[in-house]
Amino acid sequence: MFELLKNMIKEEWRIYASFFGNVNFALFSFMMVLLSFGASLFIPVFQILMPLEQIALIVHYMFVLFGLSTGAFGLFGREVMNRRFGQASLLAYSSRSLPVSERKIFLNFFIKDIIYYFFLWILPFITGYFLASKIFSINAGSALLLLLTTTLSFMIGLSVAFFLSTIYVHSKKLLYVIIFFSAAVLLTASNHTVLGFFELLPSFSFFFHPSVDNLISSLFIIIILSAISVFFLKIDYPQNKRKFKNSFKSLSIRLKSSKYNYFISKDILDLNRSEGGIGKIIFSFLFPMAIIWVFILIFSKFIPELNFLIVFSIFLGIISSTIYNWLTEYDLFNSYSFLPVRVSTLIKSKVDGYMLINIVPLILLILVSLGTKQYAYFFSALFCFLSISLYSLSINIYLAGLHPNIMLCNPWTLLKYLFSIFPILLILIFMSIINHIYLIISLVLIPVSFYIIKAGCKKWDNKKQISF
Amino acid sequence: MENLIEIKNLTKKYGDLKAVDNISLSVEEGQLFGLLGPNGSGKTTMIKLMTGQLKPTEGNINVMGTDVLAHSVEVRELVGIIPEQETPPSFLTAEEYLHFVANIRKLDEIEARCNKWFDLLDFRNEKEVLCKDLSRGTRQKIMFAQAFIHEPKLAFIDEPLINLDPVIQKKVKDYLAEFVKNKGTIFLSTHVLQIAEEICTKIGIIYKGNIIHEGSIKELQEKNQHLEDFFLKLVKEKNK
Repeated sequence: MFELLKNMIKEEWRIYASFFGNVNFALFSFMMVLLSFGASLFIPVFQILMPLEQIALIVHYMFVLFGLSTGAFGLFGREVMNRRFGQASLLAYSSRSLPVSERKIFLNFFIKDIIYYFFLWILPFITGYFLASKIFSINAGSALLLLLTTTLSFMIGLSVAFFLSTIYVHSKKLLYVIIFFSAAVLLTASNHTVLGFFELLPSFSFFFHPSVDNLISSLFIIIILSAISVFFLKIDYPQNKRKFKNSFKSLSIRLKSSKYNYFISKDILDLNRSEGGIGKIIFSFLFPMAIIWVFILIFSKFIPELNFLIVFSIFLGIISSTIYNWLTEYDLFNSYSFLPVRVSTLIKSKVDGYMLINIVPLILLILVSLGTKQYAYFFSALFCFLSISLYSLSINIYLAGLHPNIMLCNPWTLLKYLFSIFPILLILIFMSIINHIYLIISLVLIPVSFYIIKAGCKKWDNKKQISF
Repeated sequence: MENLIEIKNLTKKYGDLKAVDNISLSVEEGQLFGLLGPNGSGKTTMIKLMTGQLKPTEGNINVMGTDVLAHSVEVRELVGIIPEQETPPSFLTAEEYLHFVANIRKLDEIEARCNKWFDLLDFRNEKEVLCKDLSRGTRQKIMFAQAFIHEPKLAFIDEPLINLDPVIQKKVKDYLAEFVKNKGTIFLSTHVLQIAEEICTKIGIIYKGNIIHEGSIKELQEKNQHLEDFFLKLVKEKNK
């Protein structure tokens, strides 16, 4: 059992270290310390604006969100890994070749995620806070306690993701009903009710009221959800060959308006036929948006000048860029290198595909503006969403090319990404506070984005592509 | 006969390792050239360099009158390539993948071209199966079909018969012989000497990035030498 766990951790490390080198990848944690250190310096400023409880709530939900995305990628990304490394080469699939049960592997996978990400993200994050609190006398609670409660929050997020994926495997319909019901409740309930519900997070309660009861509540959620996931684990190894009529041909004809119709058709078929279907793209931004919804509610409670719809649209634009990550997940340039295809051709085709799928977040924006009845702000929010979505995409392309999920684990690339996105985001939020009409200026980002995409295409055409 | 491939002083370094070391080589139109060598000798690197998938450290490569370094995509438009390891994308069916490649190559009469290959390599019954669910042999058939779907004059093939059953191997060998007979040119890389002996008109033996022998199969046959014995002797000598 321990041997399997140890090797899974080694395997996870080596996947990334093989791209950037051990030292460079290790610097990722160091970068987390620095970022958290820098962010912690703003705690006194935030404390003027809002109570410490609300700041802590945001921090804890950040870790829940992190756990959710880690779990979602670990499961929905199974086929991504299969495509990259081959069916037999990852320990997660060793039940086929070794005398180890799938349940045992899953349990090890779950524990591996907790240990691995604890050292990669959580510990560095809290270390940054701890250093800042010592040097600048910031007192926002015990760092050790925060380490425990944020770890619990991460584990809650992780076990929720595994639990939802277990439901998905048994009944897709049930999962869709749960998600859409939750979304409907979120859209229709009052802000006060939504916030009250989110404050029930036991790891958050434990931070302010360290009691055995709160610790047990946190552990209870984690253990129950993961036990159900392990007990009802169902892994489908399709015995039959999956057959399909030629959908590629009809899809390419329908997408004829794009010069890259056949690449987009292939991407759509890849996404649709792989585990989780096209739904995984939608959920991968619905979950973060739900959590960001809470963050905005907290902020707007204490900074009433913040307009909910505008801030939501800005974050929606950023989170939408994860669509590009999914579009690039299912193929490697190796699959095209023997064909007359340039890297830039593939990137441009992904841009077209991205714009097409952006209809989904656009619909979400329309629904939210209807739900919140902030019609007067709709066009400003729309401009912000379109500009930021395209701008985040262009930065993603320029810095990470066809491999955003891998390249953004390089600490230097991540830093450049954050410094390219966040100042723009803050400027837009600030402008919206002065007068939302000024946000029309955000449209300037559109030609800028196209220029960056063009520069990115040129850059990646001249670079050797990652191969596995 | 015109030289379809001309290589001058080609070198490829990976750090300190010279995968290809100052090789000069030419392949004439209508030849079936076999590049033979043990694992790791530089065969696949050579094919990748000649098709612009890798950039050389030094040297020039000209394929069908086109400078590969300056116009790699144009070269890949002209030729067909079967890579050693790559398989078709997982979530397209065999038929869809061939349609996809035909679209990239901007071909017409796609149905007819696909049908020809379904029948020739006997995988019509599996054309609607996802590539990821197909056997390795069928995937190799698809890779073969994609390389020849545009009827190129020159094809680069890395380990052509790997995973294919004897019946299909025979069909492929016959196809290649016919292709060369009709003035097509093949650059083939393999470590299976029997294949080279059966179908190649000319061979080059590569060892640790150097061409240690170049000549025709006919010359060996005239000297009553078996390719296998000749190859093993040569490699043994170089290993001393």
